[in-house]
Amino acid sequence: MQFLIQLYALSKRNVILRYKHSLIGFLWGFIKPLIYLFIFIVIFSAQFSTVSHYVLYATSGIIFWFFFSNIVSQGIQSFVLSAGIIKSVQIPVILFPLAEVLTELFNLGLALGVYFTLMQWFGLQYTFVLLWLLPALFLFSMFAFSVALFLGTLNVYFRDIGILWNTVQPALFYLTPIAYTEALIPSRFAFVIRFNPIYHYIKLLRVPIYESISPSPLLWLHCSALSICSLGFALFIFHQLKNQFITSI
Amino acid sequence: MSVLIELHKVHIRYRTNRAGIHSVKDFFTSWVNPFQTTSILKDISLRLEKGQSLGILGRNGCGKSTLLRAVAGIIKPSSGQCIRRGTVAPILALGAGLELELSGYENIRLLLALYGKKASPEAIEAIVQFSELDDATLQQAVKCYSSGMLARLTFSISFSQDCDLYIIDEVMAVGDMGFQGKCKSRIRALQDAGKSFLFVSHFPDEVEKICEQAVLLDEGRLIQQGSATEICQHYRNLFM
Repeated sequence: MQFLIQLYALSKRNVILRYKHSLIGFLWGFIKPLIYLFIFIVIFSAQFSTVSHYVLYATSGIIFWFFFSNIVSQGIQSFVLSAGIIKSVQIPVILFPLAEVLTELFNLGLALGVYFTLMQWFGLQYTFVLLWLLPALFLFSMFAFSVALFLGTLNVYFRDIGILWNTVQPALFYLTPIAYTEALIPSRFAFVIRFNPIYHYIKLLRVPIYESISPSPLLWLHCSALSICSLGFALFIFHQLKNQFITSI
Repeated sequence: MSVLIELHKVHIRYRTNRAGIHSVKDFFTSWVNPFQTTSILKDISLRLEKGQSLGILGRNGCGKSTLLRAVAGIIKPSSGQCIRRGTVAPILALGAGLELELSGYENIRLLLALYGKKASPEAIEAIVQFSELDDATLQQAVKCYSSGMLARLTFSISFSQDCDLYIIDEVMAVGDMGFQGKCKSRIRALQDAGKSFLFVSHFPDEVEKICEQAVLLDEGRLIQQGSATEICQHYRNLFM
């Protein structure tokens, strides 16, 4: 119970802090994807005409990409930035990246609310298939949390990790079929995409929105296995290193 | 009388990162092993009975704050045992746990929740009253506070908790005379109610007034333990 109160308080703090001094506050949550969408439409205009419902296609990728990348970027810094609390309050430190996930789920909820309304003009169909988004989001959150926990733990000892992530992030973004379609990738490079874990999650989330069908059982299996393995690995590393946190933050 | 805290041969070792490469030499040596282990506390054994208060004295950097964190359960000992039978209020250090960008009110609510307490209007009101900070100040971001105001806020939040043990880490000195007096009478009242204090200070006179017992730390070792008067005298002699 205490765990939940603490988690809620930290998430609330994150929400307040994130937009404390900005004019339009949480509106940024869906303006950022909107700007990206606009850029894509300009850059990929050639492809734009060949893909049906391109706006819906790109949007369904961008929103979830930002969800992931925000969790990781914030999660990496979550221990370091909460040094004051960690040093003076007895609190399970794992709550800090977990609170980032909750914060982002909140932001995502707001963004999805707006986009689900807007997208009806771009080909979104309101069917029960969309309910698959809930378990899919659960798996994706689990994966994002694992990455954030793992990198955040390392970042306590080597601040290079945060800088490295900022550099790698754009590469990862363009390695994932978000703005372009899978069909565009030459078959000899297809394996690169398949080794990119985010590709599978984006696909899992996109299929119900864009194609209005249920994701295949094999895809569910892939993503579940990936989430469980990555969480296990991240927790293992975290437990090895967490006792020394206080000296390095 | 029952035992509140019992430390048995507690060692605390830190693995510190030597990153922060300043020269080519650093670069090569850091590749060998980027970590080095430093002992902060060595072989600390002490007991504190319920209702008693303990002063902790020692030079800067001798491990006082680390000892407090070990007792508060924030750091686990590398070896040895640290047993605490009772609840502990969060450590009182200057600005501890406060989020600088948030306002005073937001911080009160955040910290109460982090301590697992409900932020009821009455609880907040009690904290505000004790701190004597006005409404306008409490709506301001904490980063604009003076150190005295920070001390008022942290003290008020910590004292609003009902715990068996309170930990104070060198914060008394920054409040003004009025607030210092108020804190001391609060400490006295809590002591009369059977609460214990761990008190770190560089003012032996203060330690003598508040604590019956004291310990003297030096380079992570507990070099002396006894009545507050005796240890404070010894501490004064260190700097003669």
